[in-house]
Amino acid sequence: MYVIVVYDVDQKRCGRMLKLCRTYLHHIQNSVFEGEITEAKLEELKVRAKKVMKEDEEDSLIIFKSRNEKWLEKEIVGADKKPVDNIL
Amino acid sequence: MKQNFYIFNSGRLKRQENTIFFEKEDGSRSVIPIENTESIYAFGEIDFNTKLFNYLAQKGIAVHIFNYYGFYSGSYYPRETLNSGQLLVKQVNHYTNRNKRITLARAFIESASFNILKNLRYYNNRGKDLGGVINTIEGYSSQIASSDSVDGLMGIEGNIRNAYYKAWPTIIDQEIEFERRVKQPPDNMVNALISYLNSLVYTTCLGEIYHTQLNPLISFLHEPGERRFSLSLDLAEVFKPIFSDRIIFTILNRQQISEKDFMTEVNFCYLNEKGRKTVIKEYDEKLKTIITHKKLDRQVSYRHLIRLECYKLVKHLIGEQEYEGFKIWW
Repeated sequence: MYVIVVYDVDQKRCGRMLKLCRTYLHHIQNSVFEGEITEAKLEELKVRAKKVMKEDEEDSLIIFKSRNEKWLEKEIVGADKKPVDNIL
Repeated sequence: MKQNFYIFNSGRLKRQENTIFFEKEDGSRSVIPIENTESIYAFGEIDFNTKLFNYLAQKGIAVHIFNYYGFYSGSYYPRETLNSGQLLVKQVNHYTNRNKRITLARAFIESASFNILKNLRYYNNRGKDLGGVINTIEGYSSQIASSDSVDGLMGIEGNIRNAYYKAWPTIIDQEIEFERRVKQPPDNMVNALISYLNSLVYTTCLGEIYHTQLNPLISFLHEPGERRFSLSLDLAEVFKPIFSDRIIFTILNRQQISEKDFMTEVNFCYLNEKGRKTVIKEYDEKLKTIITHKKLDRQVSYRHLIRLECYKLVKHLIGEQEYEGFKIWW
């Protein structure tokens, strides 16, 4: 499955969320990630994210799911800072 | 599905913030998501440190290293976590028992020749005259069942491959100088492509074996030599026609690769960086291709077919089900 993950957490926890998400997905913009992921790995990410977040302080994580990258039309306006690529 | 990462640039690969950072020489860096990494292919000049290897071992990620000319030099194979003494004993037993070994060796060759024939038939149906070669190879493969030594089988395999390679100039639309297989070093474009892709198939097989209880050192068709993981050579034999040969036909017929993608200044023919990238891209796409598995009735990727092959081998070794090599059904 192909996902886009967006988070909005308090500044104090931003760094930890960034580091966590980076181990699963490609960082494309501040607090925005995308990439191919398996269902199990996404569950794992959610569990670990919940430990970082404080839900009563209005921290949130939004996941956009897509069956395949093919069904996602991506348009970049301006600079493409971090291309998602597995050939470095 | 986890991804492979291919690194062509030079720089430093390190563990940072519980994931992998790749720092290029110019200081820019890219982050590799470790939880989503199957294995890493290193083509550039890269520095590693033990801290990174420790972490990769923990996550079970192999690193395959290639030299300046794109030849496979070796793998960092993390500590085995899936160990089974029982299976090891059975695996050795199947190697030392002549009959048991021949049965397996035969199965490998049989499916390899089946897959080769499938490739030839495909192009035969597309207006290339390959009837003669198909007959020759069918003749050779009928000898497989009666051959009773591993050397004999290897001989048949050699004959099949020779006949097969003779047909390549007909299959490939581009003007190529390819008569026979030359290794160490390859002497022309097609030989260079074969060497390169075969080494990729070999590493993929090794990576899949790592995720099973099989021991990669004990093989059945190839002699378990020292210093190399010969079981992956056995498995690669089955998958070479699908992964490497088909890619070669496609990229050459689509004109994606031509002589300018090779280094010819030395007498030999090596792929240059651009050529290597084109091939890697095709190869990666190939591994990710998804098909519906006939028997399992679910979607699997090409790469997963190799894993399933390992499982079948395990089942054969523990005596649960007779091993039957993979045969293309589509």
